[in-house]
Amino acid sequence: MSQRRFAAAFLLPGGLWLALLFAVPLAILLAISFGTTDDLGNALYGWYPENYQRVFEPVFVPVLLRSVGFALATVVLCLAVSYPVAYYIAIFGGRWKSVLIALVVLPFFVNYLVRTYAWIAMLGDDGVVNGVLPGDGIRFLNTPWAVIGGLVYGYLVFMLLPVYAALDRMDPALIEAGKDLYGGPWQTFRNVTWPHTFQGVLAGTVLVFLPAVGDFVAAQLLGGPDEYMVGNLIQQQFFAAENWPFGAALTTVMMLFLLVWMVLYLRSAARETAAIA
Amino acid sequence: MDRRELILAGAGLALAGCGVGDSGGGSKKATEKTIAKKIDGDLVYFNWSEYLDPAVIKGFEKRHGVKVRQSYFDSMPAMMSKLRAGIAYDVIFPTAEYAQRLIQGNQLRRIDRDKLKNADSVYPAFESPWYDKGSDHTTPYTMYATGLGYRADVIKGMTGSWRDLGDADPAGKAFLLDDFQEGIGMANQVNANPLNSADDDALGKAKDYLLELKPKLRGFSSDTITTMTSGNANIQHLWNGDIVNIRNQVDDPENYRFQKCKEGIPVGSDTFAIPVKAKHPGTALLFIEYLLEPEVAAQNVGWMGYPMPYKGAATESFASLVKDDPEINVTVADLDQGEQFENLGRDDRQAWDQVWTEVKAS
Repeated sequence: MSQRRFAAAFLLPGGLWLALLFAVPLAILLAISFGTTDDLGNALYGWYPENYQRVFEPVFVPVLLRSVGFALATVVLCLAVSYPVAYYIAIFGGRWKSVLIALVVLPFFVNYLVRTYAWIAMLGDDGVVNGVLPGDGIRFLNTPWAVIGGLVYGYLVFMLLPVYAALDRMDPALIEAGKDLYGGPWQTFRNVTWPHTFQGVLAGTVLVFLPAVGDFVAAQLLGGPDEYMVGNLIQQQFFAAENWPFGAALTTVMMLFLLVWMVLYLRSAARETAAIA
Repeated sequence: MDRRELILAGAGLALAGCGVGDSGGGSKKATEKTIAKKIDGDLVYFNWSEYLDPAVIKGFEKRHGVKVRQSYFDSMPAMMSKLRAGIAYDVIFPTAEYAQRLIQGNQLRRIDRDKLKNADSVYPAFESPWYDKGSDHTTPYTMYATGLGYRADVIKGMTGSWRDLGDADPAGKAFLLDDFQEGIGMANQVNANPLNSADDDALGKAKDYLLELKPKLRGFSSDTITTMTSGNANIQHLWNGDIVNIRNQVDDPENYRFQKCKEGIPVGSDTFAIPVKAKHPGTALLFIEYLLEPEVAAQNVGWMGYPMPYKGAATESFASLVKDDPEINVTVADLDQGEQFENLGRDDRQAWDQVWTEVKAS
């Protein structure tokens, strides 16, 4: 077997996986997005581009903007929480590093939905937290803060792990070198640590942003009347209105929108890698 | 066009021109075949969760020496997509509207009523219901009414109107069902329009009312048991059976009450049905018969909190469950006076969804 063939054989399982579980479903999704439904709500294939026209009706704009806003806030908060934690573990963790990381990841063994339900029990008006707070307590739930909080809690690990990996990879001697060159803590961080971990931050940003912007669980369980997100809109089409074609059109537009961000990320990542090398 | 695009295009073409999944193409003949009432295998059961007493299932398993393999759906569309995917369930629990759709699509086996013991205990109102003329493809399972559940210890000014949802609780802990049918149906009733109105004028008014209501709401939720028992809701748009379950879970059940609203009572019913693809229809028939037994039905009602429309023990069981708030009860007379949700055609359904989406997105 030539080396080329050998390499091709190695591509086969992954290729089949992608074809069967990504390309084919995507093609079906695209085909349905141009379809319609019969009176019983069954999706039918056809040519109905007006599904896409409806996606761009002005009423959906605030929903899209809100989703992006919530997702960006989630990214910023995830970064603010994970960076110090990851920094501490990577630089000062010593032989406890693996244990500490395992402890941080442990809650994420529990299903996201179950963890979100736990928030209702903890933060409800008669919940655990309000039970120990004095006075009438605080209304945590059914607010935008609850939704963003739920998203941060849900996706934190996707930021923490890449940032930790980047910090762990960095040679601590670089920080010492920065100090030797009379850099203060802030200058050293800005000129040495941050650039070396920026790739991890970027990866974490993408990993958190993508699921957060399409999430529907947090808004449905923790949100109030004004926290409707794109994910809820899509879910409504599939599981209530039984309009799969419109749901598929919304999904397609959403994917294209996210693809733009992905491409920007990949290009910037490639540039950065080239710059460091 | 590169290779990848070619694959995409090919897959798309292969699919074009046919329906998505098995969309109701059952044959009339397959539905009419008589089912022999005998054990023909384990029962593949598909229902809402927490909607049938597990002890009843155990009792059935013990009586007939079979297993009941249970799975659950969380919405009617979810049930439909599993059926379309071709999964062979023996017994399912569609709502009246979905029962009608399944019958129209030749998806349900004929159930010979005269073969079922105790079938005559079913209320005569279900002799030939609107969704199943002649009642020969379904057996009624439950009935329910939509209204307002509220905490009588907090809310004092209930007026008997749907408008109490937005106006009665000064603390503003009000939740509307996250269900476009119930939401718009309620708005139609507030506007003195028929429950199922779908014309532009009625829907415009429904939207106006919902937009007026929205700022007074704390949220949309169909998880009414959680909202009420967690203290997050003082008043919640809900189904009468849910208030029974809420009362079972709280320390002061007498404070959790139900109001049927004067503008109208949306009522509905759920059914047993046997899909055409069922592999063990005989066991399914025996299962339905088991649930019709008065003691079994009475026990089931006591556990799940919804009335079953059978004369005798089942009716008494529900009446005793709600004796300190008879308002929770749903009687056959309520079904007659109430308004039932109908199947909207495609365009009307989309018009309803558009209103609901605009309300939620605004």
